[in-house]
Formats: sequence, C-alpha cells, structure tokens
Amino acid sequence: MQLSSRSLFLLAAPALILFGVLALYPLGRNLLLSFFETDYGLEGAVFIGLDNYTRLLGDYFFNRALVNTVVFTVVSTLAEVGLGLMLALLVNRAIVGKRLVMPVLVLPYVLSTMVVTAIWRAWFNYENGFLNVSLKFLGLPGVEWLTDRNLAMWSLIGVDVWQTVPVAFLVLLAGLQSIPEETNEAARIDGAGPLRMLLTITLPLLWPHLLLATLLRCVESFKIFDKAFALTGGGPGNATSTLSMFVHQLGFRFFDIGRASAASIIMVVIAGALASVYAWQIMRSGDET
Amino acid sequence: MRRSGGFIAGVLVYIGAVIALLPVLWLLRTAFEGTGGPLVKMPTLWPTTPTLANFSAVFTPEVMGKLVNSIIVTIGATLLALAAGFPAAYALARGGWPRQLDKLFLGAVLLLKLTPPIALAIPLYQVLRLFGLLDTLLGLIIVYQVYALPFAIWMLLGFVRDIPISYEEAAVLDGAKLGKRLSTVVLPIMAPGVAATAIFLVILSWNEFLYALLFIQSPSNFTLPTYIATLITEDQTYWGPLAAIGLVASLPVLALVGVVQKSMTRGFAGGLK
Repeated sequence: MQLSSRSLFLLAAPALILFGVLALYPLGRNLLLSFFETDYGLEGAVFIGLDNYTRLLGDYFFNRALVNTVVFTVVSTLAEVGLGLMLALLVNRAIVGKRLVMPVLVLPYVLSTMVVTAIWRAWFNYENGFLNVSLKFLGLPGVEWLTDRNLAMWSLIGVDVWQTVPVAFLVLLAGLQSIPEETNEAARIDGAGPLRMLLTITLPLLWPHLLLATLLRCVESFKIFDKAFALTGGGPGNATSTLSMFVHQLGFRFFDIGRASAASIIMVVIAGALASVYAWQIMRSGDET
Repeated sequence: MRRSGGFIAGVLVYIGAVIALLPVLWLLRTAFEGTGGPLVKMPTLWPTTPTLANFSAVFTPEVMGKLVNSIIVTIGATLLALAAGFPAAYALARGGWPRQLDKLFLGAVLLLKLTPPIALAIPLYQVLRLFGLLDTLLGLIIVYQVYALPFAIWMLLGFVRDIPISYEEAAVLDGAKLGKRLSTVVLPIMAPGVAATAIFLVILSWNEFLYALLFIQSPSNFTLPTYIATLITEDQTYWGPLAAIGLVASLPVLALVGVVQKSMTRGFAGGLK
C-alpha cells in the first residue's frame, strides 16, 4: 500500500517548510557569511575568503573553548555511561523496593536544567553553600568549587553527570532487560562465574545499547550552553567557556557575524561527524528489528 | 533469580538514590526555610524556621506572567510539532518515495536533531526579525521546532511503524480515503504514542533556555528558565524565594513524567529505540 506522490508531498509539506526555514536556510546563510567580514548581513560585507577560519584556528579563545568543550564532552560522557551501566547492572538484579527507587534515580533528569543549575550554584557557594558549610561542620576547609581555575570545569562536569546519568541508565537498563533470561541461565549451568558472564555474555549483547547511550550523550554534551552560562559564565577566566558560549559571545555581544558563522560551521562539521556514526548505528540496529 | 550479591547491590543502588535525592530535598527545604537571604547556618535538610513566606514570591504578577508565557510557548510548540510531525512521520513510514528521497529526509531530520542549536541562532535571529517575530512568544514557538520537530518525527515514526499495515488495507478495501484512514484507523491506535510524544515535547519546550535567552528581550516576555537564570546570576541571590519558584517550575514536569514512566526510555533515547 503506497501513497501517491501528491499525498506524500502534502503530508510532508509542513515539516519540509519548517526544515527549510529553520535548518537549511540558516546553515546556508552561515556558510555564506563565514567567508565575509560583516556585522549583520551581506550589505557592507567584505569578502575575505577563508580568513575567518584561519583566524579562528589561531585564536586563543576559540582554541580554549574547543579544548574545554572536548574535555567536557569526553569526560562527562564516559562518567555518565560508566555510572549508568553500573546502576543498570545493579538495578537489573533483584533489589528490594525497586519500584520505589526507580523514580528517585531518574529524578535529577526530570528537573528543569535551570532549576538544577540554581541548586548547584547554591551548593557550590564558597561562603555559605551547602557543600562548604557541611565541610566546615566536619572541621574541614572550604573548597573554591567555581572560582578555582582548575576545579571549575570539574564542578561543571559533576553537575552534568548528576543530572544526566539517568539517560544512560534507562537506555542500558532497557538493553539488559532485552537479554533473554535463558541465555544467562544456560551460561550459569555451564558453570560461568558472574564476572565471566558479564564479560562474555552481558557486555557483548549490550554493545549496541552502550554505543547508542555513548553517542546520545556525546552529541548532547557537545551542545553545552545553559549550565555553563548560569553556573560559571565561562569563568574563572576562560576555564569553562565552551564553543556554544564562544559563538554566543562573538555573534550576540561583539557582532562579529562572519567569524561567529565560521565557528558555527566548524561546530556543525564536528556534530556531523558524530552524527554519521550515530546514523550508521541506527540504520544498522533498525535493520535487525 | 536471587543470588548472594543482592544485598551489596541493593546498598549501592540506595547510595545512588540518596545522591540523586539530596539536592532535591535541599531545594524543598530551602523553599520552606524562613531565615531568609542567602545565609545558611547549618547543613540541615529540615527547615530551621518553617514558613510559607517564600511562596508569596511566586504568586506575584511578575512571576505569574513568566509562568503564563512558559505555558503558552510550551503548548504552542507542542501542538505545532505534532501537527507538522505526525503527517511527515506517517509519510515516511508508509513509503512510496521516489529515488530514496525518504532517506534524504530522514538524514535531514537527524542532522537537525544533532546540530548544536547555537549554530543556527544567528541566522534565526535574522529570520525572526524579517517576519517581525523577534521578542514575541509566537517567534519562540516557531524556533522551538528546531528541537521539537525532529524529536516528534523520530518518535512518531516508531509508533506508525508499529501499526500493522493490514489494518489500513482493510480500511482501503472499505473505500476509505487517506484523511479518513488517518482519523479513524491510524490516530486512534496511535493515541497513547501521540500522548507520550506530546508529553516529551512539553518537557522539552518547558525547559528550553538558549533561544528564550537570545530571542526575547522584554522582561515581560521572559519564560521561567530565563527568569530563573536572571535570579541566579544576580550578585545577591535570595535562595528561599528562588527555591520556591524552582519548585513550582518543576512540578508540571514531575507530574507529567509520573504519567509516562513506562515509555520513558523510548523518549529519553530520542525516539530512536
């Protein structure tokens, strides 16, 4: 039962129009403007070829933001998938009160990001934040969670991990539950120990889910803006500035639209590389089901 | 299959649960804490001087205005994403596309889903200005489709594919046209799926921050997340009222998640599972 071309077109038209206006046009305009020096559009713009790109690659602030974003993405993704896997393996066993504990484990992710950021900004406060007050209570010195150049990034990562472990956890738990009990049973009868079962049966069968959770978190972490904006504002110095914040600053504060467009294109290329791995994985797992 | 390691596993899970819960309990405590200002003398999780005064900061015309803005934008963005996403998902699932154009379309959906939203922000600013939609809630509803539409299409696509094609073929034999088939066969079967998708769209739009920050300038048009951000980045933050506002801002989402707990994995994986 196939649809006629006319019905196909009519059905897809609203989405196609929105895609055109919200994605294709912006990406095209970014690409075009990335070859110009301009403070808004094409009027008065000067064509400078690839200068915006070469200047970005030699720019301290851009490179700093790039490195920060990569560190943030890699560390938070690994931590989230690692902790999510541990939790999923634990919860998948018989646990007392599983129904009670599940909603609690997922709670951080369903809070609004801005509310999460507010909570942690209060916890990280040097003078009277919950963490330092607790440390003082135990007779320990306070920690400069957000104002120490070397620590701020880890605090930011910590908040992200706290909030989004549930995503990896839920994806991996669903994966574990799709492994038939007979498979485990057969291995157990063959005398396999728990560690051996984990390494030779569970993890290989869970592989597509692990990859999916990792890619999902990578792609999302790479976009990081709101937490960094409201938690540290990119500081101290540039210790927690990210690519999204860099484009935001260049485009909306300094009106260097040409260079901001070039930086946007570089971000899209990096996200596109991640996306192609992601697409390949989805198409593959889609074929299996 | 209960085994001896179960006890330790249980303890570890409950430690995880405490870590997840503690900051939320603190939010709850602070919302009912009466000592006011930014001072916290002891690391307590129970209000030292319980009060409801902080909630008087929520029920002001100022905060209520942001709440109403958030509600309008959220409902608008959700309805628009469903209205544009459902027919597109149906067309993608039922096929008949010439020359693999469906793959191209899906690729575009995926690209948009994975593109960092800031990378589209500067041209979107120009688009909104062109149509006179800068600093309007309608403008936000439209740009939120950057997130909402790819999500809606991916998730609904899975639900359409779950419907056995024979149901529709039976309707075709009865002489039902496309519109009738969609409204009498496809939509009724998909209703739970559409509802779950809608709830995730609501959560997505309710929490959106970046575009609300960039495209809204008048404080009277702020949504709750941008309003909360202005409160936290002030020099002197009053945590009591802020916690009360945060609590109120979280409640709708918490309530909705309770409803969709079962389809949660599907939604969090972005409808890709």
